[in-house]
Amino acid sequence: MGNDVLPKEVVQQFSDTLISNIAENKNFGDVMVVGGGVSGIQASLDLATAGFKVYMVEKGPSIGGHMAQLDKTFPTNDCSM
Amino acid sequence: METIAPFIEVIDEIKEAGGEVFKMCFQCGLCDAVCPWNKVRNFSMRKLIREAAFGLTEIEGEDIWRCTTCGTCPDQCPRGVKQIDISVALRRVATEYEVFPASVKSARTARASLISEGNPLQGDRKKRSDWAKGLSVKPFTEDMEALYFVGCYLSYDPRMKKVATATANILNKAGVQFGILGDKESCCGESIRKTGSEEVFKNLAKQNIKTFIDAGVKKIIVSSPHCFHTFKNEYPEFMVNFEVIHMSQYVLELINDGRLELTGDYKEKVTFHDPCYLGRHNNVYDEPRDLLNKVSGLELVEMENFRSNSLCCGGGGGRIWMDTPQKERFSDIRLEQAKEAGAKVLATSCPYCITNFEESRLNLEYEDILEVKDITEIISEML
Amino acid sequence: MEYPDKFNQGISQNKAVHVYFSQAIPLVSYIDDSCLRLKEDKCDICSGVCKTGAIDFRQTPLKTDINVGAIILSSGITPFDPSVKEEYGYTKIDNVVTSMDYERLLSSTGPFEGEVKRISDKTNPKKIAWIQCVGSRRVTKGDNSYCSGVCCTYTQKQVILTKTHYEDAECTIFHNDIRSFGKDFERFFQRAEQLPGVEFIRSYASIEREIPESGNVIVRYATADDGVKREEFDMVVLSVGLNPPEAYKEISQKFGIELNSHGFSKSDSSNPIKTNRPGIFVSGAFQGPTDIPESVFSASGASSQIGELLDYRRGKLAKERVYPVERDVTGEEPKIGVFVCHCGANISSVVNVPSTVEYALTLPNVVYATEQIFSCATNSAREITDLAIEKGFNRVVIAACSPRTLEPLFQDTLREAGLNQYYLDMANIREHCSWVHAKQKDEATKKAHDIVRMSVARASRLEPLQEFDLSVNKTALVVGGGVAGMTCALSIAKQGHEVQLVEKAKDLGGMSRRLHTTLEGLDVQAHLDNLIQMVYQNPRIHVSHESTIKHVDGYIGNFTTTIETEGRTKEIKHGASVLAIGAQEYKPSEYLYGTNESVFTHMELGEEIARENDVVLDAEVLVMIQCVGSRNEERNYCSRVCCGHAVKNAIKLKKLNPEMRIYVLFRDVRTYGFREDSYREAMEMGVQFIRYTPEDPPVVEETKEGGKVVIRVIVSDPILGQRLELDADVLSLAAAVIPASTTPEIARMFKAALSVDEFFKEAHVKLKPVEFATDGVFLCGTAHYPKHIPETINQSYGAAGRALTLLSQDTVTTSGTVARINYKTCVGCQTCLPLCPYGAISYNSKKKVCVVNQILCKGCGNCASACPCHCANLLGYKPEQILTQIGAI
Ligand SMILES: Cc1cc2nc3c(=O)[nH]c(=O)nc-3n(C[C@H](O)[C@H](O)[C@H](O)COP(=O)(O)OP(=O)(O)OC[C@H]3O[C@@H](n4cnc5c(N)ncnc54)[C@H](O)[C@@H]3O)c2cc1C
Ligand code: SF4
Ligand code: SF4
Ligand code: SF4
Ligand code: SF4
Ligand code: SF4
Repeated sequence: MGNDVLPKEVVQQFSDTLISNIAENKNFGDVMVVGGGVSGIQASLDLATAGFKVYMVEKGPSIGGHMAQLDKTFPTNDCSM
Repeated sequence: METIAPFIEVIDEIKEAGGEVFKMCFQCGLCDAVCPWNKVRNFSMRKLIREAAFGLTEIEGEDIWRCTTCGTCPDQCPRGVKQIDISVALRRVATEYEVFPASVKSARTARASLISEGNPLQGDRKKRSDWAKGLSVKPFTEDMEALYFVGCYLSYDPRMKKVATATANILNKAGVQFGILGDKESCCGESIRKTGSEEVFKNLAKQNIKTFIDAGVKKIIVSSPHCFHTFKNEYPEFMVNFEVIHMSQYVLELINDGRLELTGDYKEKVTFHDPCYLGRHNNVYDEPRDLLNKVSGLELVEMENFRSNSLCCGGGGGRIWMDTPQKERFSDIRLEQAKEAGAKVLATSCPYCITNFEESRLNLEYEDILEVKDITEIISEML
Repeated sequence: MEYPDKFNQGISQNKAVHVYFSQAIPLVSYIDDSCLRLKEDKCDICSGVCKTGAIDFRQTPLKTDINVGAIILSSGITPFDPSVKEEYGYTKIDNVVTSMDYERLLSSTGPFEGEVKRISDKTNPKKIAWIQCVGSRRVTKGDNSYCSGVCCTYTQKQVILTKTHYEDAECTIFHNDIRSFGKDFERFFQRAEQLPGVEFIRSYASIEREIPESGNVIVRYATADDGVKREEFDMVVLSVGLNPPEAYKEISQKFGIELNSHGFSKSDSSNPIKTNRPGIFVSGAFQGPTDIPESVFSASGASSQIGELLDYRRGKLAKERVYPVERDVTGEEPKIGVFVCHCGANISSVVNVPSTVEYALTLPNVVYATEQIFSCATNSAREITDLAIEKGFNRVVIAACSPRTLEPLFQDTLREAGLNQYYLDMANIREHCSWVHAKQKDEATKKAHDIVRMSVARASRLEPLQEFDLSVNKTALVVGGGVAGMTCALSIAKQGHEVQLVEKAKDLGGMSRRLHTTLEGLDVQAHLDNLIQMVYQNPRIHVSHESTIKHVDGYIGNFTTTIETEGRTKEIKHGASVLAIGAQEYKPSEYLYGTNESVFTHMELGEEIARENDVVLDAEVLVMIQCVGSRNEERNYCSRVCCGHAVKNAIKLKKLNPEMRIYVLFRDVRTYGFREDSYREAMEMGVQFIRYTPEDPPVVEETKEGGKVVIRVIVSDPILGQRLELDADVLSLAAAVIPASTTPEIARMFKAALSVDEFFKEAHVKLKPVEFATDGVFLCGTAHYPKHIPETINQSYGAAGRALTLLSQDTVTTSGTVARINYKTCVGCQTCLPLCPYGAISYNSKKKVCVVNQILCKGCGNCASACPCHCANLLGYKPEQILTQIGAI
């Protein structure tokens, strides 16, 4: 999914929040986002950029949700990855 | 194209006759796509409904009489339109005005016979139990396990009497305490109701209900899915509830309970035709198949259309009494399907289906190719 | 042993241990539930094989407690599973697939690497049918009664893509309304419809059977004129709708939130993001079936509402990203590292990647080259960083895809390695090579070599560029005081920012002033009064009435806007701008509007109903005509709200006067989403819908009938094959929603773009749906495109959320790729001035030269290419850099 949308920040978010939490063994955050589809990712990015610490919870092995399974997306038909 | 204003009075009449569900149709065309008529000729239920919605129904035309009430389209309609109710409503309106196309005239004869003799076959009411002569079939009494409601076709029709005999044989073999109502039995009224004769239906139903109550009936065994349907789903409109069981279910029960034992081999490929009123209308699909599978040696094969997708024989909705040109008979297609499936026996469980199939069998000259049997006839051979 | 691969809808096989899909984040292998060890405790091969000892079967699910201040539920949708219904033939017939399966077939990472093949015999299907509304808009058991809203358009997308893959494919779409209600959807539909060999047929279709010999599928459908037809297709695609995931039930119980009858979040249409539990919000398809843009802006909306709630702790837990100090390499010889990406199979199935790596190593200045499966994956990016440090390169070339999407990621990778991020060049060997030359593999590999060579040449000439930080003014300007503007203003203000709300009219409220209820049952006037009160009571919101925007100056973080308000001129300094100037109703010239006083627009009809006008309430016959002024040549878009509006008015009228006969003359009924239930409700009440086509529109004339003046409407009914004559007492027209008259002017002043239909144009439909390409300017409401009030509210919170990502920062960083004009050589010809689409160039009349505002400049290069004396240069794309690159061809 959305390397279009996320890479930079998501990668950042994943490494930053998760890794630092694991390291510090602390589970205090501002927001929990349940579901890592396009909406959950966008919400997490906005929150992280606006200064909040976010936990994203996703039941599958990857984030991206159903958008990641789509080939291209309407109405612009560009790549959804 | 003609310009025409909606006919409000007609709309109201149709609504009054119970056809108001036309209002839900959004013309998706699915009913037309699945209707068996469109395998043999053009027929548009969608158009019929659209015409009803604007009061533009051709009340004297053939189309309002066409629907065999097979139940395929109502099962799939995305808007929950009960197409059968609409057909029946339109037929009620036509009946009220007493306008009938030629092909429907014979249904009028059936109606007259129902009114006078309680059966559509112009059989003498007094002779209703003649089929049972010489068999040990007793009149029903309150202490019996169940009433066997024979039905008109099994009582009068020469072919169908064999099914009645087979049924009596099975019940006796299993030691079931059962009895019949004899000349007090009247037609269940299912089909005449579908032709729009609501009053005739009500009278028949009331007669039967009165007889049932007077005789102390609780459990009813039926051979016809039409009787099954109407006792189960329509008689409750009169605030009565009887336990109804179809022979195909009952025989299976008897076997499972160890009351009936099958012997011998039935070395044939058999296919089962789901009657509309047993399958789609009442969701009985498994029991007849389970029953056939109990018969040793019998190989059950399926036709192209089966279970909820079964192909109507063409006899429902009063069509059994109407004239259908030979090239427009669904039963012909059904026989071909049975042959395609490699079956030697076309088994089913409904008097209308058997009547139509036997006729097609003659017309198609399938006498050597295919046998048509009621499921009870097969079982009866295995006792 | 292989098992059906979930990601590929089970069409292809995979092992129990695998990477979910090639661009998965995180990109690691996982073991799925087909593992024998996990299932039957049988096998243990993998843990022995793994070199890093990462496989540990003793792992058990870890329970972690997380303490948070707020929760967003964004658990999305599940595609409808058609195997629940026998009629759909799915799983029983090989060549009946779902649209989700078909997406995978179309995808280059799919089961057949982008080739559409039939499951039965692996041949390409030529005749393909799509059946619409599978699982949607049906009251039958197992189906959903609502419209899923997305399947019409995604089907068109699939048709277009199929036709691009296979020119001679024949595509037939069976439907019962084309619901192209979104922005640009109508044109998208036309694009699909006009392709040769594509046919849209208005009939739901039934699958008759499979032909065993060929695997083909027989489909039956109804036509109005020729009865039922039977047609054979190579493949049938079921356009499945969106179901709420099973997990919603559990989620709703765990979180104590209510669900609606369809199993989605039970929303309050005055704020669809909110749930019944404070602190828990929903975004995306949990609100109901939605498409991507809406899922994106409801997400931003949810984050804004959380911002309102948790503003006090903003920045306390999150950590700043710290990069290593940038290494000065200007004195060094170029040392280039080249990374050639497989892009799964996207590139490597055509271009020979190892040979390209080898080739790169032969190029001047290249000190290192390697291949990567997905350069954009987290671990690959880290590899680039590590290697850059280890091998000490000072420039990086990534031979992969277009820089458009991934450049920022790789720039970041360079920064992590202590390099200036402009030492990056991307060689596009996917879009420019493997995707377009799929059939000529050798030539493609040669071309990839050429592209890499050019890129290396340019890289060797790259210079470090500086990005600069600008301070951000914390005030927001919101233009337009309708529902959108007020909602957005309030959300921003509640997060501690001053908001200047500028309204053209005397009062706040906008278009919604004229609406009374929504289909969802919101009391619009009460909601509006409440909003207005909150706006006036909020000390941070400053409202200017009767205002006109005169002039806008500045750029992201630092705007100065001059307004004229109630006779005075006022200057506002602000960091962000939100444009919410709404839309207006088209005044029809059709159907006796303006000449017969019983002809109204739907908006007016709603007002007349609210006013209890007897002429309307006592009408015996009322006719509505849809799509008046919309979906035509002049306005080639759907106004989106009018179908719902018609249904809403009709239901209201039927409640007030059940005897009234109401006819709605429509082209497609576009009651998408849960509105489908209202469409059914209207029919249940007896409202009659009659379809017309634009080629044969209704004819309306005034006439006398029994001494009474009536409006005679004549319309053909396709199913009846007859023209119906309806004598109406009242006629109501679904007048188009058109852009506000001030739109072009406002767009010009804010350097905001307009789309073809002259509504505001967002920066990116899916990725940036509430912002303009011009930084720091946001949009919401009907100024963007017609939409219903709940949708407007969603989007307005979304705009607030996005604005906050800016306003909550002290500084913003601008790109280093900007133009510079050499003032020494500039002759002041001003050729470049009008060419700059972003208004970044101004003329300094004193010095007689043009100057580029580096913040406004977007680096498009127009000025550089036009300057007659070559004094305008685009940094990073200077003539010598480009010429070296060209020279390398
Ligand atoms: C015909 C029609 C029917 C509709 N029916 C429904 C319905 O049934 N259900 C439903 O949910 N939604 C309906 N809507 C949509 C509903 O109106 C919108 O969703 C909602 O009102 C949008 O809010 P907004 O604030 O974006 O726009 P508006 O309410 O139009 O507000 C925009 C505001 O900006 C002001 N403004 C404009 N230009 C300037 C400027 N240059 N400077 C300053 N201020 C400016 C305007 O005066 C106005 O106050 C309908 C809309 C129309 C047109
Ligand atoms: S299937 Fe139902 S909705 Fe569709 S045309 Fe037939 S009656 Fe109408
Ligand atoms: S019930 Fe059967 S016969 Fe009647 S219209 Fe429907 S599909 Fe046709
Ligand atoms: S009408 Fe609605 S449910 Fe049907 S295909 Fe179109 S969007 Fe999907
Ligand atoms: S009436 Fe409006 S919403 Fe409906 S299709 Fe026409 S333009 Fe679109
Ligand atoms: S590069 Fe483009 S945006 Fe920048 S100043 Fe030149 S014309 Fe304007």
